[in-house]
Amino acid sequence: MGSLLGDWPSYDPHNFSQLRPADPSAQPSKLTPVTYHPTHNRTLPPPDQVISTEARNILVRQFYQKSEEKLRPKRAASDHLTPDHGYKQPKGAFGDGSSSN
Amino acid sequence: MFRSNNLAARVFERQILTPRPGASVNLVRHFYENLVPSCTIYDIDCPDHSFRKFTDDGQYLVSFSRNHQDLIVYRPTWLSFSCKGEDCDSHSLPQKAKRFDSFFTQLYCVSLASSNEFICKDFFLYMETHQFGLFATSTPQSHDAPTTEGAIEGVPSIEKITFYLVRLEDGVILDEKAFCNDFVNLAQSMGVFLYEDLLCIMSLRYQTIHILQIWDSGYLVDVRNIGIFCREDDELFINSHAQVANGVLQHQVTQGTSFLSGIKQRLLSFIFCKIWNEEADPTLRVQHLKKKFYFHFQDYVDLIMWKVQFLDRHHLLIKFGSVDGGVARSTDQHPAFFAVYNMETTEIVAFYQNSSEELYSLFEQFYDHFHANSRNSLHTSFISSHSNNMHALDQLWCIKNKANNISQFVKKMMTSLPCTCQSQSPSPYFDLSLFRYDEKLISAAVRHRHSSEHPIKFISRRQPNMLKFKIKPGPEAGGSDGRPKRISSFLFHPYLPFALSIQQTYMQPTVVNIHFRR
Repeated sequence: MGSLLGDWPSYDPHNFSQLRPADPSAQPSKLTPVTYHPTHNRTLPPPDQVISTEARNILVRQFYQKSEEKLRPKRAASDHLTPDHGYKQPKGAFGDGSSSN
Repeated sequence: MFRSNNLAARVFERQILTPRPGASVNLVRHFYENLVPSCTIYDIDCPDHSFRKFTDDGQYLVSFSRNHQDLIVYRPTWLSFSCKGEDCDSHSLPQKAKRFDSFFTQLYCVSLASSNEFICKDFFLYMETHQFGLFATSTPQSHDAPTTEGAIEGVPSIEKITFYLVRLEDGVILDEKAFCNDFVNLAQSMGVFLYEDLLCIMSLRYQTIHILQIWDSGYLVDVRNIGIFCREDDELFINSHAQVANGVLQHQVTQGTSFLSGIKQRLLSFIFCKIWNEEADPTLRVQHLKKKFYFHFQDYVDLIMWKVQFLDRHHLLIKFGSVDGGVARSTDQHPAFFAVYNMETTEIVAFYQNSSEELYSLFEQFYDHFHANSRNSLHTSFISSHSNNMHALDQLWCIKNKANNISQFVKKMMTSLPCTCQSQSPSPYFDLSLFRYDEKLISAAVRHRHSSEHPIKFISRRQPNMLKFKIKPGPEAGGSDGRPKRISSFLFHPYLPFALSIQQTYMQPTVVNIHFRR
């Protein structure tokens, strides 16, 4: 079949030649690839979202991040005794003791 | 990637090739493999000036007169001559083409320094957006300067340092700023950092960072001084309360103590908070503080600021060290520290010792951001560094693996921080993904080196062992047998296949060679 774009020069005229309409009776000229329509709205952005460039460059951001980690006071020793990950099941005999979220 | 090495084939290929996103400059730079400065004119007859640098946009060549009092600016042009007849390539250049003014036209000569002042020929900063150049003149240095209030001992003093802002287009001096009885490290422009339109000048003697802004009209305007006071209105606040606290202050002055400077107070409180938070148990905290903070308290108080650079418009990277640490070569006895300071909130954000591996990992990954390239400048973003080039990173890792002591290695790498502004040539011939060359003999860093007898080879990276061009800095006939010490420096044009090599020999006239593509 001819190129979708008519007779314009293309890198490879056989591109898109495998496209076949699902419905055999559809007109070849109205052929368009099927587009995706989302069936849920979980991925919609929040209505007041504004996307802008981060003002700080990555190096300065790293400095802030690392110093915030250090300046955040560590939990006192008594807190470590309470099981933080109580919802996790202990591993089997061959598991190691590392716990990670 | 071009499929062919042939120049004409590459030009045709460029018509249909789409470079990878964001890498169009890298692709186009491959043409520099074909256009190389392979032709040399030796010992060209040129005026006896000390040539400093091509500006980063390639518009001007900045030079100073031998007596260090005048600024002479040239416009680089290209020679043009026509040759009648066939097979012109084999003809050598006509004699009148081999002249300095075939390549450069003098624009003007401006006197910057007068009487006992001299232009510091190591100092030059260029503001590309407005084509402004910043120059410095100074009177001779005096080592035994009288100690004045606020000045620290151990730092020499210069009677007067003047910075001049010159519009390079026509040589008009737009503004000047003088520092009296002060010391700014002018060598290699180390004491001054230019970022977009902001300038920070490190006054070592008075331990103050002067932040200035260069306006479009050419004025140098004071923004703030960081040192004794951090905010602009701190001095006003203290003076207005001075009368109330007069009794207290008098008492303290007579005792010989005074308040620590603002920046020092910020630093000490940051270190205190950091060490306080390291120990979670309140009962052990005081002990921890005693060991880590109070034990070293006087060392921290004695630290002085050595060098400063911008990280962005609001953040400074300041190097702290001991008073005698600045001039010492070895980094062992004199620990150095780095602090990131936010000018707007006047808070210290981070503080590292120069052996910190965390700081080293940031240095390894984000070195380009330490260079604080403004968005305005195009070619400076493509200077090869170990953060943007695999070959440079390989070299760094080689040195790291060979190092016996990782802490020594880290300290050695940290000596390059804070970065010096505009210290590297943006010429694509120094691009490590295009060419391989001996970095001891020549590199992007603009500085003098010992000259070698042998020509410096630039070998292509992508076709290994294929020599692309050579630069022979010496005279054509080779050096004399006496082998006096020779210093070479190389000035590469930022984008043309054009370079100057300047050879200085003790007690002999300077030799200038021009390397270009015929």
